[in-house]
Amino acid sequence: MYYRRTLTDAQINRELLHVVFTTPMWWIVLVVSLGLVVAVAVAAVGYMFNQGLGVTGLRQPVFWGFFITNFVFWVGISHAGVMISAILRLSQAEWRRPMVRAAEIMTVFSLMAALTMPLVHAGRAWRIFYWIFPYDWSRGIWPDTRSPLIWDPVAIFTYLISSSLFVYTALIPDLAVIRDRSKGTWRYPMYAILSLGWHGSPHQWKLQGIAGILLSALILPVFVSVHSIVSWDFGVSLVPSWHVTVFAPYFVIGAVHSGVSAVVTLMVIMRKLYHLENYIWEEHIDALARLLIVVATGWFFLFWLDFVFALWTREEQEMVVWNLRLFEAPWGWLFLTFFITSYVIPVPLWLFKRVRRSFTWMLWTSLLVNVGMWLERFLIIVPGLVRKGPLVFDYGSYRPSIIEITIVVGTLALVPFLLLLFSKFFPLIPLWEEKEGQKLIDHIQLGNVKVPALVKEH
Amino acid sequence: MATQAKPSTHGAGDRDTPKWEMVVDLDRCTGCQACVIACQAENNIPINEESAFHEARVIQWIRIERYWEGEFPDVKARFLPLLCQQCDNAPCESVCPVYATYHNNEGLNVQVYNRCVGTRYCGNNCPYHARLFNYWEPTWPEDLRNQLNPDVTVRTRGVMEKCTFCIQRIRRATRGGEAVADGDLQPACAQACPTSALVFGNANDAGARVSKLKNDKRRFRVMEELGTDPSVTYLKQVDTDG
Amino acid sequence: MAEAAHEMRPIPTHQEVALDVLARFQDLGARYWGWVTVLGFLFVLGIVGFVIRLSAGFDDRSIWGYHVATMSFIVTTFLAMPMISAGLRLTKANWRRPLTRVTENMSITGLLVVLMLLPALAALPPLEGRRNIWFDFPLGAPGVWNVLGFGNLALMGLALLWVLALPDLAAARDHLPPSARQRFIAWASLGWVGHLRQWRVLYAASLVFGGGYLIAYPLVQSLLFADFHAGLMPGLKDAIGPARAVVHGVQGALAMTIVVMYVMRRLGGYERYFSVEQFWALSKPLLAFSLFWFYFWWASFLTFWYGRLPGETDLIRFLVLNSYLGPFIVSLVLNFIVPLVALIWSPVRRSAWGPAFVSAGILVGTFVNEVRIYVSAFSIEDPTLHALDGIPPGQWPEAPDVLIAIGGIAGCVLLFMLVSKIVPVISMWEVGEGLRLTKIRRYLNRQVRVIAKSH
Repeated sequence: MYYRRTLTDAQINRELLHVVFTTPMWWIVLVVSLGLVVAVAVAAVGYMFNQGLGVTGLRQPVFWGFFITNFVFWVGISHAGVMISAILRLSQAEWRRPMVRAAEIMTVFSLMAALTMPLVHAGRAWRIFYWIFPYDWSRGIWPDTRSPLIWDPVAIFTYLISSSLFVYTALIPDLAVIRDRSKGTWRYPMYAILSLGWHGSPHQWKLQGIAGILLSALILPVFVSVHSIVSWDFGVSLVPSWHVTVFAPYFVIGAVHSGVSAVVTLMVIMRKLYHLENYIWEEHIDALARLLIVVATGWFFLFWLDFVFALWTREEQEMVVWNLRLFEAPWGWLFLTFFITSYVIPVPLWLFKRVRRSFTWMLWTSLLVNVGMWLERFLIIVPGLVRKGPLVFDYGSYRPSIIEITIVVGTLALVPFLLLLFSKFFPLIPLWEEKEGQKLIDHIQLGNVKVPALVKEH
Repeated sequence: MATQAKPSTHGAGDRDTPKWEMVVDLDRCTGCQACVIACQAENNIPINEESAFHEARVIQWIRIERYWEGEFPDVKARFLPLLCQQCDNAPCESVCPVYATYHNNEGLNVQVYNRCVGTRYCGNNCPYHARLFNYWEPTWPEDLRNQLNPDVTVRTRGVMEKCTFCIQRIRRATRGGEAVADGDLQPACAQACPTSALVFGNANDAGARVSKLKNDKRRFRVMEELGTDPSVTYLKQVDTDG
Repeated sequence: MAEAAHEMRPIPTHQEVALDVLARFQDLGARYWGWVTVLGFLFVLGIVGFVIRLSAGFDDRSIWGYHVATMSFIVTTFLAMPMISAGLRLTKANWRRPLTRVTENMSITGLLVVLMLLPALAALPPLEGRRNIWFDFPLGAPGVWNVLGFGNLALMGLALLWVLALPDLAAARDHLPPSARQRFIAWASLGWVGHLRQWRVLYAASLVFGGGYLIAYPLVQSLLFADFHAGLMPGLKDAIGPARAVVHGVQGALAMTIVVMYVMRRLGGYERYFSVEQFWALSKPLLAFSLFWFYFWWASFLTFWYGRLPGETDLIRFLVLNSYLGPFIVSLVLNFIVPLVALIWSPVRRSAWGPAFVSAGILVGTFVNEVRIYVSAFSIEDPTLHALDGIPPGQWPEAPDVLIAIGGIAGCVLLFMLVSKIVPVISMWEVGEGLRLTKIRRYLNRQVRVIAKSH
């Protein structure tokens, strides 16, 4: 499977650090245009803070709408980083190498995007520290740890801190390479400080390796708990169609589904923009696509359980919510779109090797998955609220306002914006991982065929 | 702090502490909405203009749920005044991250406006849709400004609010510590009800009207199966003649 | 992780392995027959227990609880084992090779499960008036569909076993002296000679049946959970149940594989095949699935407990906090706490005794847990209610229940021992393939293994 190209260390350094040392035109254009979108969204947030949440489409009793949907979506995307990095690192999957850094940093940035959402959604965002800060300040009162909304920030900050550490630990050797190449320029002091005096002694490598393995192992429970806790925001409540026991694993595996798809999208775009043809090959997205088939099917099983056991109760309120979801416009159309884009189109396509190994096909199918998964979160959260109880005084629908849409689009621009900025200062593919991979290539002679092989550490 | 007051749950508790409850006699209710207006005036609730109804952002601490019984042409309009049920096992309380809503020792589900940051989770978890959110800064026409009740906080935008059983009246009546005679203390809605369909009182006082009525054979509580243990009891004769 | 390398043994050849495996395979000594007799006797005891239960009929559903729990235990451990073979083949794990056949041979227990299913179905109450997944579906629900679902799983497992056994059956056919056994093996080898097209068919079929098994298993666990637990439990809406049962299944399969390997090492002298590497590699997913065991339980417990709905509170009192507190604690300790505390240490994982010890505990815990889930459900008198009517007491086993449990488990082991004298218990061709794809070389200052990535 691994028909690796042989690359010299010098070539790896040159190609992967290209964007760090030069600034291509497309980079400026992209940063500026994405920055503009983000700026518009920030302005929309300012307008909303100034006017009040009346400018959203929220209404009685639909208290949570686009913002919370988007929050769940971005937390979901963030699950790919560890999924790829930690699990594949622990299982020593060789194909992880070119995608770990990009996936990890996408985790960090999408968590940041996710964190903005509950913040702007709160009625009085400027007093949010009351909510999340575990200290009694002057009020003489601590946050209520019984509330899932306290579990949320605790889980997400833990995840953010540990994944930032994870990124940083893996970044140190590369920082030292940049430091050594930028002596005498304005960059030098920054990289000199950040690289913590790395000079690549065996002792340092050993420590770095241990830290990587430990962080991988410790981050896995965090990774499962984060989206479980997000799911319990809904699961522990009494809203019909939310009060479901399967939500925790269903959300986690859905997050992996959308997150790994996002990694595929990122890989394809990175490869094209940064000319990484020597590093990201068909084999890599093929492996990701095969992983996705399994993940998506597991996700589908849990989705099916959610559906069947909702019908199982034959309770009136569950039926009302599912009726809205499936048969009332526009919900039914959204549901159909979600179902087709997140499973029915991509997964059967991925069964074909030719699709799995085509960058174009994988780009579009992985984007489709995330369109579907965004809608999935929307369809989990909002219909339950629209038809919350048998009291019909406030029956209606929910329609997002232009402000909400702008802010959501802003987060969609924010993450690639931050990724582009990151890529200007740090290589998106770890140099040392690639170099290590090159050292482990071997082959085995079978008859008259040379089969590519790998050195295993044990 | 807030938790120390937990306890009057499930009725019992200290007999000397009042346990405020309400009984709503649906057989008396005509759906006239006097309670809604009285509540509006008493509790500094902004005027609900037509647009508020279109946007479904009406703020009414008590509202009349109308529903139909029977099939056309033999159809009857029925009314159910719905307010915060002051549940003893309230789903809204445990989900609030900042203790903006908690249970006090008089069986009231209390909303603390200046703690509220507006996550609106309590509103999601309230099966009675009794919790309301201030989407806009509340405003009143200039000539109504002097009519605001000085005992009641004007809520800013971004916080949740709901029926308090007119806690300002309870506080005024019990401030000195002396006992309140049954019927002397009434929330605005009960006071305004022309048919006396709403009865308010201390359920720990065995002689109070509310204590007697809440054990009436017509009694039921809304969504009892959820186990929220509401403090509002409804009375309704089940039609047998169709 | 690096120090293992310097005492690497030279790699044996395919032929050495084949001769060794076939020699063990051919041997039908007194020891083998001794075990078969003992197991056969225990199995007959189980049948006695079953007949006692049968004589009481199906009117009293509660006496069938332990029968269903035993059946579910077999589904959750023995019958889940082929998933390990199928799953590891999909991930191309090289260390799977010596142990896949053990797990595939266990698919024979599907026959016993299908037989046990029939009386269990007869004990189910009619669907009318109670919650069920069949939604007035016609054509003999739930019985017919359960038989189809379980039968499909059993057939899928046997097909996987048969297809993957073909090269070894052919080797056995050519190696054994003529006898009835040899003639049967010769027939079963379906004329395998090992040309390219046959290999292609084998690889494709292993994918199809392996994938099919991985899909069929969750469906069977869903049927079990929905029809034999949730459908009898008034007011229960526990959508995670089937997924939790699948997690229990993977954990049980890993534990059973480790225990079987350990026993074969100690009693059968299979150290050469089941080396520490296999225990080490299996104990990592075992630790993960032990954590999942707790996670999948907690997800549903928290939802019920936090929601505070009276019906659900009663259910968790019944299943966890009151009536079945003892069994729950036992399985919590054995399925979660002990594996977590023990397997978190690399030296424990990297041994044969450590994982085996933990696994034995997991199997006990799994049985107790199946009892908790299914006996409780069968002890409900009126499944048409919408909430529990009071909290029923827990139900202890009676003599026939013990006999059925012992007999069922003994029957599975017996079937495994019988089938292992038709299909060699080590997959010679897979091990051989692995040997050809491996070499040992020096790397810097130590010896390392080089593994080619192929099938």
